[in-house]
Amino acid sequence: MKALLKKGFNHLDSFFSVFFTPKWNPMYQLGALSFFYYWIVAITGVYLFIFFETSISGAYSSIERITHDQWYIGGVMRSFHRYASAAMGICVTLHLVREYAMDRYSGPRWFSWVTGIPLLWLLFASAIGGYWLVWDQLAQYIAILTAEWFDWLPIMVDPMASNFLNESTLSDRFFSLLVFLHIGIPLALLLGMFIHIKRVTGARTNPASGLAIGTLLAMLVVSLVWPALSQAPANLDVAVTEVGLDWVFLNPYPLINSWGPGQTWALLVGLSCILTLLPWLPSKRPEQTPVAVVDPDNCNGCGWCLADCPYEAVSMKDHDYKKDHKQSVVDPDLCVSCGICAGACPSSSPFRHVDELTTGISIPGFHIKELLSLTENKLKALDSVAPHIMLYGCDHGSTVDQLESGSVAAISMPCSALVPPAFIDYVLRRGLADGVIISGCCEGDCYYRLGNTWLDQRFSQERMPILRTRVPREKVRLSWLGVQGTAQLGTEIEEFQHYLHHAEEEEAYYG
Amino acid sequence: MADLRRYLGQALLYAAFFVPLVYITHLPTFTHLEEDMAVLKIAVRHAGKIIGECKPLSGAEYDKLPSNMKRPEICPRERSPLQLELLLDGESLYRATVSPSGLHNDGVSSMYQRFEVPAGAHHLQLLMNDDVASEGYTWQLERDVVLEPAQVMVASFKEGFRLQ
Repeated sequence: MKALLKKGFNHLDSFFSVFFTPKWNPMYQLGALSFFYYWIVAITGVYLFIFFETSISGAYSSIERITHDQWYIGGVMRSFHRYASAAMGICVTLHLVREYAMDRYSGPRWFSWVTGIPLLWLLFASAIGGYWLVWDQLAQYIAILTAEWFDWLPIMVDPMASNFLNESTLSDRFFSLLVFLHIGIPLALLLGMFIHIKRVTGARTNPASGLAIGTLLAMLVVSLVWPALSQAPANLDVAVTEVGLDWVFLNPYPLINSWGPGQTWALLVGLSCILTLLPWLPSKRPEQTPVAVVDPDNCNGCGWCLADCPYEAVSMKDHDYKKDHKQSVVDPDLCVSCGICAGACPSSSPFRHVDELTTGISIPGFHIKELLSLTENKLKALDSVAPHIMLYGCDHGSTVDQLESGSVAAISMPCSALVPPAFIDYVLRRGLADGVIISGCCEGDCYYRLGNTWLDQRFSQERMPILRTRVPREKVRLSWLGVQGTAQLGTEIEEFQHYLHHAEEEEAYYG
Repeated sequence: MADLRRYLGQALLYAAFFVPLVYITHLPTFTHLEEDMAVLKIAVRHAGKIIGECKPLSGAEYDKLPSNMKRPEICPRERSPLQLELLLDGESLYRATVSPSGLHNDGVSSMYQRFEVPAGAHHLQLLMNDDVASEGYTWQLERDVVLEPAQVMVASFKEGFRLQ
């Protein structure tokens, strides 16, 4: 099931990248898009609130005035408010399913997963509260059913549904309460969203500007063509027979209708409990490898690993024995064993004058020393006359092992950002390879969140440790093609070899 | 040209997302109540009779009481639960015992139920006992009613049953 979902998402990702490019690909920004929709709903909500009347007679008529009398702004705002909340519901659901399919919910990632589940309830409560405020037939339907649904719980002295017996039992105070709830619950949702990303370094809460603009334009078009409208006004003396439902948020209501409140509670609470416990339920998941280890002898306290860790697993403390020095500390509960810290460590340089290459921080089983010896051994074993390529890849991107040949040495590791830039310099300067390719997850969709972003920045000298200026850039390529891009990576390797071959010929000819 | 194709593709994908989204925010409609049905609601909020009677305090019991709580007799607080029954055309639609609220069962008893019933003429009977010491029903209402399709009829209680 999970494998099938993963395959589906991979195809969808590739498809969207064709038209949106990886930078604008909405599938890589579902969380950021959810934040974006939240802000649209919040801003438009403030505008609508200015004109909204909190009374039985005023609620419906004020919304009608906003919709029709000022259709060009109020009507558009209302449509944005409704459609952005529905879009947020869909993005949040896709975000949840995608993180599950991609195995990004267990281990140290449990915190974001678990804190995300109550957000679903808050999101639904926020949206349902909004539908009540309109006080049309849909509002009447969901008000009565929600009240009956809550009345099933043994917490109410007086049944909530008694407030909706007929027109005479409803009071204006009800709308004041609703407005309070419709502001309070979304604020609680916002707080929950910030807690949700608390343990994530540099969490992406804004989508790419191109995607944001495209989304706003698309929403403007649908808001003008199909504006959000109210249904007939509510009348508690007449029962609602047929109602147009928002199937994104109001899908539990037909269940309450047919199953009854008890079973619906059981289903939704049960589902929430299962989702909450999912990170600890037995499942086929990638094994958690040993966490990063700090070597105090080689840690100079620079803090680059702290800056690069995508999960805030690294912190600094006073050095064990060097006075006035700092050293890194790894929190094993937060470390995902990606090795990005090892790639960031300035001690991970093969040029160091030491008998045996050591580094300040490393992943057991993928120590920098082992990576160096593997690199050297694999490159020395190449026997083809074609330009020799060192291909570094990650376990979550293109399958680099499949591309090994007589002229291509490939090493796959947890994350490509484990490769320190000094390695590239070393391999080329020592003539071990004619060119180096680093491949990995698609741009913006790194399994470890920031691996390819950091590597891009290290190579463009925007982030420490930088790829030194002396390294010929034409001999280094970064290829973020993801798991679907193995065949394309093979083509790119051939083109690269072809290019290097011609470059060699030209150099030989022109000197 | 490639850019134009890309933007066109994006426009189509935006449409593929937003058009179904707009559709499912209000359609397809859901039939909550069949056209030939009406709704009958019963909502009662009533405090049952106190169970037991006040008894005079003995001299020793009276002396034990704090000075600000001295009184000649002690009265029970517990209230009787409500025995409720709703019959439609002679058939029992609802029959329940509604307990009083409060830790000492000394609060009001509240209940609410909604029923979907066929529209048309019906004979309605509402029966309630609010005193466990009494046999049978202490309150009742019997009426012939005609319900229009989708009409909401509310049966409530305030010093007797009322139909609205």
